[in-house]
Amino acid sequence: MQKEVLINFDRCLGCRSCQLACAVAHSTAGNLFGAILNGEKPRTRIFVHQVGGQKAPLNCRHCEDAPCIDACIAGAMHRQEDGTVTNVGGEQQCTACWMCVMVCPYGVIRSDAAGTMALKCDRECRDEAGVPACVRACPTGALVYAGVDEYSGRRRVDVLARALQQVSGNF
Amino acid sequence: MRFVIAGNSAAGVAAVETLRRLGGRQNHITVVTDEPGETYSRCMLPDLLAGKKTEYSIRLRPPDFYRKLGVELLGGVAAVALQPGEKKLLLQDGRELAYDRLLVATGARPVLPEVPGAEARGVFTLRTLTDARLIASLAPRVSRAVIAGGGLVGLKTAYALKTAGLDGVTVVVTSPRLLIRQLDEEAAALVERELRSAGINFIYNARIKAFVTGSGGDLAGVELEDGRELPAGLAVVAKGVRPNDTLVGEAGGETGKGIVVDRYLRTTLENVYAAGDCIQVTDRVTAQKVSSALWTLAFEQGRYAAANMLGLARPYPAPLTRLNSARFGTVDVISVGRLEGPEVMARYDPLRFTYRRLVFDGERLAGFILAGKVDGAGVYTALVKSGRPAWTYRRQLLEGRAGSVALSNFLTFH
Repeated sequence: MQKEVLINFDRCLGCRSCQLACAVAHSTAGNLFGAILNGEKPRTRIFVHQVGGQKAPLNCRHCEDAPCIDACIAGAMHRQEDGTVTNVGGEQQCTACWMCVMVCPYGVIRSDAAGTMALKCDRECRDEAGVPACVRACPTGALVYAGVDEYSGRRRVDVLARALQQVSGNF
Repeated sequence: MRFVIAGNSAAGVAAVETLRRLGGRQNHITVVTDEPGETYSRCMLPDLLAGKKTEYSIRLRPPDFYRKLGVELLGGVAAVALQPGEKKLLLQDGRELAYDRLLVATGARPVLPEVPGAEARGVFTLRTLTDARLIASLAPRVSRAVIAGGGLVGLKTAYALKTAGLDGVTVVVTSPRLLIRQLDEEAAALVERELRSAGINFIYNARIKAFVTGSGGDLAGVELEDGRELPAGLAVVAKGVRPNDTLVGEAGGETGKGIVVDRYLRTTLENVYAAGDCIQVTDRVTAQKVSSALWTLAFEQGRYAAANMLGLARPYPAPLTRLNSARFGTVDVISVGRLEGPEVMARYDPLRFTYRRLVFDGERLAGFILAGKVDGAGVYTALVKSGRPAWTYRRQLLEGRAGSVALSNFLTFH
């Protein structure tokens, strides 16, 4: 079974440890102090949002029929053997046309600081045990790297559904 | 089964990949294209002109792509006729290709103005790699260029030629402002300011009366209907495209704003499917029948058509046919869905140098424009596409804080 970063929404405290870990793991220096000393401004690819009283992280879902792959005019966005959807390390280079940004329903693809390429979860942050940085950093177990089964999938999102319902009243 | 695909751009490539991914290796696949070389990204031709990309770096797939997939590629030969009864595709060089299922992915061709001198040396359209090569070879030898058309292709071409070092680049626009089909006045003004600061000139409410040639038959200038003459050694016409639907039309298939297809992307001819810029689609928001003509749609249609050709019966949902993203200098613009509607709200966000415009039709977000910074645009696109009630989110959307909407998209699509 392919592994995904699963989100247990009821466990998220909104500490943003995942955001920091993600940004640092993707920096050239690879650690926070090094990145800051280099003058880097590391950018996260996972985003903690607030819905009413509920905090919730969201990152790339590596969709099956990924709209970002269809939209990419450069042929840079592609799917790797392990299911990871990424615009780096493939045949072509990202050209910063933002077509992927336009079609990603989760808003988890963004531009780099210089506006020269799109950044997204590429799982290039995995440690020697194969665990992504955001998951490793999460202190509450809100993020888990595991194979998906449908039943637990349903339970994970119930909290989020309730929180959204309270806020918007239209779910 | 024998699959033949006419066309080697977005729809054709997506179809080939899907036929192999879902259908395995046992089917025979032949791709035929009138273009000579490998598949490339049409949208990136302006980058080639600008010198920002090379022919190598705008290739869409690796050189051994077809060989690896076990696909036969017949390049540089046009498909000229279709015999649906005999299930045969006739090629320019006299060859006949027999098929069990055919995909027509022949794309579109640029519209040329019917004015004197349009055939002159130095007047181009920018649609193919060959066009780009011709323009790129002439550009260093001229100092002034005129672009006809203030749409996306026209502006990208103008910006590219300016970047390539041409002194004078003038865009002649029929409308009172640029990008009239994509942007409102405010957003267009942001783009115009950026392009003007790059040194590009604009003439609005103007039409080209003639392309004037000099002594050797080369382009010397452009004459406008109001009598003005603009000296130019190079002109690019960017006045839209027409679907290449004659292959199907002449074989008796139905055409309208392109090849007519059903929801399985089948043409009215038996065993003939069509995808990409050559087909007619029904817009998801306006319910109008329009030409498809978008890279993204061509790619997804290629995938759907291939699945259906394999007998998997995957109905293609009505697409959003206004779905544009472009960048000019530091200004990024994304425009999706309807430009006008019953309820319009717009705001310039000075902190993020970003203009946002929302078009609501009742509870539903029917369209939007983001100009400046466009992060998170897909969250809006998903609302337009799904038609879910979005009025509750109007404030967040207008202020660019779309987090809770992103989460609700997650619940909807995941």
